[in-house]
Amino acid sequence: MVLILGGVGSGKRDYARSLGYTDDEMSRDVFSDAPVLIELEETVRRAPQKAEALLEPLCTKELVLCAEVGSGVIPLSAEDRRFREATGRLCVQLAKQAQSVVRIVSGIPTVIKGEMPCERC
Amino acid sequence: MMILLTGGSACGKSSYAEDICLQGPAPRFYLAAMQPYGEDGQRKVQRHRALRAGKGFETIERYTDYASLKLPARGTALLECICNLTANEMFDENGNQSDPCERVLSGVENLAQQCDLLIVITNDVGSGGDIYEDGTNDYIRAVGAINSVLASRADTVIEMVAGIPILVKGELPLCN
Repeated sequence: MVLILGGVGSGKRDYARSLGYTDDEMSRDVFSDAPVLIELEETVRRAPQKAEALLEPLCTKELVLCAEVGSGVIPLSAEDRRFREATGRLCVQLAKQAQSVVRIVSGIPTVIKGEMPCERC
Repeated sequence: MMILLTGGSACGKSSYAEDICLQGPAPRFYLAAMQPYGEDGQRKVQRHRALRAGKGFETIERYTDYASLKLPARGTALLECICNLTANEMFDENGNQSDPCERVLSGVENLAQQCDLLIVITNDVGSGGDIYEDGTNDYIRAVGAINSVLASRADTVIEMVAGIPILVKGELPLCN
């Protein structure tokens, strides 16, 4: 599993496409058969208390795309804070399990763990 | 030696900072600037205490005025965090606002003079992108300005992403 992080709109999906994955292979549903999981942060937002249980199914994916949501002013609402923290903690766990972690900044990928993933054969 | 550690919520800053502290000389002080508001805040404090348990830290809770703090001995200190300290120095209990930069920076400098290794935790509060009221915008600019001065003062600056330390300046400390 390769974890791809970056801000909203930073180019994570384009990067997945550049590795040879098509849009049909991308799903927002953790439990689908699609090899690429996108918008993980939105799944966490809906049920932050269940984030930990996502770790195992996520580790079976080829790519997991998640927005970095922990920066900016700490939100006033406890719910928003829980969402940010649950997303952050889940990403720490995913990064530990991931073969590679790639961070996208302005469309530019930087490998922060492991090797740069190669294109799909 | 001063290390500035930045990163988003729950990115693994605290546990990494504590690991770095274990490389520094004893005694080790944990300087807590967060005022634990409500149940949520209490839970966060409990979680951080559990993380530090057995790591030999003496906790000093202090919300403002680090400039006059005298550490009991020379060793290693971990200050958590600039975002809380800046808010505490900027807004009083009546909501009055004043410029916190000088108080925060002289506080950190005072700590740096009194320890062999100082680790300062902060966050990039300017990367949220929401629209805020004036006081909050002033706060974002103040934290940004303070972070810039601290990064220039620090020997090492590290950004944490999903538990992975990314070197921004200087050299990564050796730890697991």
